[in-house]
Amino acid sequence: MNVFSFLLDAENWAGPSGIWVRIGQHVFYSVASVLLAALVAIPLGVLIGHTRRGDAVVSGLSNAARAVPTLGLLVLVVTLMGSGYLPVVLALAVLAVPPVLVNTAAGFRGADPGAVHAGRALGMTGWQLVRQVELPLAVPLVVSGLRSASLQVVATATVAALAAAGGLGRFVVDGQNLGPGGYPQMFAGAVLVALLAVLVDLGLGGLGWALQRRTGRISREDRDHLATLQPGTA
Amino acid sequence: MDLDWIARNLADGQDIVGLLGLHLVLALTPVVAALVISLPLGYAVSRTRAVAGPLLALFGVVYSVPSLALFVALPLVLGTRILDPLNIVVALTIYTVALLVRSVVDGFRGVPAQTRQAAQAMGMGPLRRVLTVELPLAMPVVFAGLRVVTVSNIALVSVGAVIGLGALGELFDLGLRQGFYTPIVVGIVLIVALALLFDGLILLVQRLCLPWSRGAAA
Amino acid sequence: MKKLAHLAVALATAGALTLSACGAGGDPLAEPSSSPSASGGGGGEEVVVGSANFTESQVLGELYAQALEAAGVPASTRPNIGSREVYLTALQDGSVSVVPEYTGNLLLYYDANSPASTPEEIEAALEEVLAEEQLVLGTPSSAADQDVYVVTGEYSQTHGITSLADLTKVDDEAVLGGPGELAERSYGPPGLAEIYGVEFAEFRPYDAPAVKIKDLNDGKIQVATFFTTEAAIGDNGYVALEDPEGMILPQNVAPLMASAVADNPAAVEALDAVSAALTTEDLTALNKSVDADRRNPDEVAAEWLAGKGLA
Repeated sequence: MNVFSFLLDAENWAGPSGIWVRIGQHVFYSVASVLLAALVAIPLGVLIGHTRRGDAVVSGLSNAARAVPTLGLLVLVVTLMGSGYLPVVLALAVLAVPPVLVNTAAGFRGADPGAVHAGRALGMTGWQLVRQVELPLAVPLVVSGLRSASLQVVATATVAALAAAGGLGRFVVDGQNLGPGGYPQMFAGAVLVALLAVLVDLGLGGLGWALQRRTGRISREDRDHLATLQPGTA
Repeated sequence: MDLDWIARNLADGQDIVGLLGLHLVLALTPVVAALVISLPLGYAVSRTRAVAGPLLALFGVVYSVPSLALFVALPLVLGTRILDPLNIVVALTIYTVALLVRSVVDGFRGVPAQTRQAAQAMGMGPLRRVLTVELPLAMPVVFAGLRVVTVSNIALVSVGAVIGLGALGELFDLGLRQGFYTPIVVGIVLIVALALLFDGLILLVQRLCLPWSRGAAA
Repeated sequence: MKKLAHLAVALATAGALTLSACGAGGDPLAEPSSSPSASGGGGGEEVVVGSANFTESQVLGELYAQALEAAGVPASTRPNIGSREVYLTALQDGSVSVVPEYTGNLLLYYDANSPASTPEEIEAALEEVLAEEQLVLGTPSSAADQDVYVVTGEYSQTHGITSLADLTKVDDEAVLGGPGELAERSYGPPGLAEIYGVEFAEFRPYDAPAVKIKDLNDGKIQVATFFTTEAAIGDNGYVALEDPEGMILPQNVAPLMASAVADNPAAVEALDAVSAALTTEDLTALNKSVDADRRNPDEVAAEWLAGKGLA
């Protein structure tokens, strides 16, 4: 059996349930849910990091959020709301919040105390401190949080298929429904998701690297260490 | 919430209890297996800087393969039957190794060179040095990784429900098919509770076994 | 008892993890006890009854397993395996040894171009194709459950649709919903196009009936496939579309067995007794107890068997 046969058949790329449409849906869910998560997690992370309070809340909350099975959450939202884009985006956003929140809080807390004191001595207000001192130092960490959030979301968005909402997971589910003969289709779904994940990783990784060169604040060890603390796909 | 349904399915070790037990087996077997694999593998990688980068990047890619795809693709690779729980255990072991090796590498790299040299100077052989000096110092970071993978494995097993083998995740499937949210909520609550319970247990073990690591990264 | 065994293994796992964590060692654990151990079933070995990913199949699976147990044949269930392609693969690789089947669709699975159209012709044709697969079909029941296309009562009125042939009036706008595998079935979009000239604007795959029902009621899809024994059709006032060209074959319920089970007279007798006692009305009632009353398939199956004196 040629596992590439599904990908190589031009017919499978076109039409309303073709590969291009599924990629579009997958990207849409991923982008929308990471943006939504960022909208919630970044301001909250800034607040927690800047005030240096609520650490326990962050780690407790993100631990619990990490334990929430995305499939269960999605199924719950779909059962209550019906199929569609919104349930998928909401469920995936919950998955994306912890890495962004943890990294943002760490980034804003981790600003060099010397720099912060110097800013204060210069008469900066709290808001000015956040924007002019802490922000530039925290940006690489925030980007790295967005990066691991995006990776998880791209891998997990496959469950959208179960909410009758398409995405690349459709190929995995349909291929599986076809039994052994559906393997090329399943394989296509898995490969495309993995490729998408690699692209996202390279893109955001490159952005983080560029930002880090500019600020040069976060050591490689710190970042690797934080990366190990970011959990899984679904 | 249909409390009556919960009561009916809890009485006399009924379905929910059985699924809970199965869930733990499917989630925790890979953690133990992966720990056994990752410690030597991670140590080897930490000693060879040249391959470490590409290898860790490769594990990153492995980690991004959707678990659903891995669950269904494994029978073709392993020659297992499609309904074999082994498929789920192996898939989760692969993910766990991919994540845990990174923690082990970080742990061993964090051992100060002076410490290693001091152990050498005291005449310790390489094996004894690794087991009695480096490993204990690396363990706090390994434990941090262990907690993350245990929690995410407990959540991930539920995806197996899509192929009829998700333990507590089967409650999601049931609820979705019937448009009935009680089993879904029960499943989510139990999975989160299990995850937090085992997270706490591992932390406890860490504090008992490695009293010096109190307050280390978590 | 088996469930308690799961729990025991789980606790052992937890214990082993706790103990071995300090020594960084630990035994690879005992394999999960749920693995279907039967390598073919029949004889003295346990018969594993598999079922598809919908309610009725699971109820039938329970009926078969419990009837076998009552007849002294050790049996267990492996419910919710998936679509026909998946559970037949499981039957062929020995993971399960009996599955509930439907005559017409089973024939189409093996021979998409079969000219058979009456129950008798289908049965005869099936016997032939199944012999090649080393599988045996039990005596089909009079209980039948066909796939059926439905629209909401309101949609039927507004657009004047009561038959599959009427769908040409709306097909360039309407969306069809059904299980994912329908896309490939000869009674799905391909058959609709060939026999009725109906080509929907879109086919949307649903893995869960509840979501499909909600979307049909919300107007996100206009046409959907159901089973004739599903309570949702009557409860929601759906209009079942007629099939004047006979695109959908008659579907009688019957157990499909691995040859090892078929060679065990006690097992065959127990399964045939279920088929003989089962009616279409029974199927509808059993489905409703599970789908609407949230009862478990094993309980409703036990009650039915007790009522018929089969367990």
